[in-house]
Amino acid sequence: MRLDDGGPGLSRAQALRRGSAALGVVCVGGVCITGLATRAVSAGSRAGDERILNFALVLEHLQAAFYAEAAGSTAFDADVLTFARTAAAHEKEHVALLTRLLGAKAEEAPAFDFGDTTSDQAAFLRVATALEDLGVDAYNGQAANLGRAALAQTSRIVSVDARHAAWIRSLAGEVPAPEAVDAGRTAKAVMADIARTGFVQGQG
Amino acid sequence: MEPTHEPGDVMAAAMVPPIVGRLDPSGAIAEAAGRARSLSRRALLAGALAGGIGLVVVPAGTSAKGSKAGDVAVLNFALTLEYLQAAFYSEAERRKALSADNARAARLIGAVERTHVAALKGLLGSDAVARPFFDFQGTTENDADFVKTAVGFEDFSAAAYQGALVHLGQAELIAGAASIHTVEARHGAWLRFLQGVVPAARALDEPIDAGAAMRLVDSTGFVRERPRTEAHTSPAFAG
Repeated sequence: MRLDDGGPGLSRAQALRRGSAALGVVCVGGVCITGLATRAVSAGSRAGDERILNFALVLEHLQAAFYAEAAGSTAFDADVLTFARTAAAHEKEHVALLTRLLGAKAEEAPAFDFGDTTSDQAAFLRVATALEDLGVDAYNGQAANLGRAALAQTSRIVSVDARHAAWIRSLAGEVPAPEAVDAGRTAKAVMADIARTGFVQGQG
Repeated sequence: MEPTHEPGDVMAAAMVPPIVGRLDPSGAIAEAAGRARSLSRRALLAGALAGGIGLVVVPAGTSAKGSKAGDVAVLNFALTLEYLQAAFYSEAERRKALSADNARAARLIGAVERTHVAALKGLLGSDAVARPFFDFQGTTENDADFVKTAVGFEDFSAAAYQGALVHLGQAELIAGAASIHTVEARHGAWLRFLQGVVPAARALDEPIDAGAAMRLVDSTGFVRERPRTEAHTSPAFAG
């Protein structure tokens, strides 16, 4: 994974400790997304779109891997399993779309370890809800930063992720749409949440 | 819920009102009508173009893209859809004819749609189109019609916001429209879950353009002319 470490001779761990936010670097495990500003500097630039789409791709890889594993669980109720299998198929297509859009610029997927969250139903419901809500927030946080063509593509994806969120919440007995608006969050905040899960392997 | 074909597909295709068929030789509107597949049979049968109403639309491929006037048109299009939804859920709550889960959805979703109306009116100020009159023709008065119609509205609104997103110029409006688009998609999934159909039928959702969206709204017959006794210096809707 590329790392913008802000200077020669810094180890990856040092760079991460050194106020990576100031460098506009957001890293989770071995995946570093560089140059993301919290405000759009040049919305719709090709380089900007690439960074944002790679950010989205990390999230979709995470979801795809999570659901692919969960789809094999033997401990879920039938309707939860149906959700996991359907979501797995959808997220795989999301990965495929973003990968196609990025071409040679697509970042590799990191390695993941989901522990028992893909086999224990209560944990799965909790994590799936969190990941889908997070995905919606991530896309919405970037909507104004994307060029029109890229936005047209990501909106096809986030619409379905929002459906997943409402679906899993319905299965879990939660309010499917708790807010009047799904306000976006910054890439930094989203990646911090991802890092906290410990799912992404290869930290520091 | 297995991801099978949509139960309303066949019915919706058969239910495209004849006047829409005459206006739509290429079938593009019929296709769009097929996407809002859960609008009730009664609503679709009742609706020729109601009272000649043409709601203010953003023409597909508008050259006002990015301009303030263009943004105003897009926002008014969104406001019209929110008026429709808010009125539908408000009426459903008033009728008190729904079972527990549906009544709860009407209450919670209605509150959100009313918030959307207020937000868009606030943004638009004096540029906001006025609220039309609606006749929901009994679809708020029983569970089956309510949920089918509500699914149609939400799926359709989500697709309309998705289509509108790329026509907005100002960054804040794009962010705002995106933040509502996903809520409408959640609502669609919520109501589909209550209806017993798959909440997310495809991996990727597609947009609908404003012109097709408004023709579809027209075709339901839910929108009625304002009474002529209302005093307005300018028409609320352009023909």
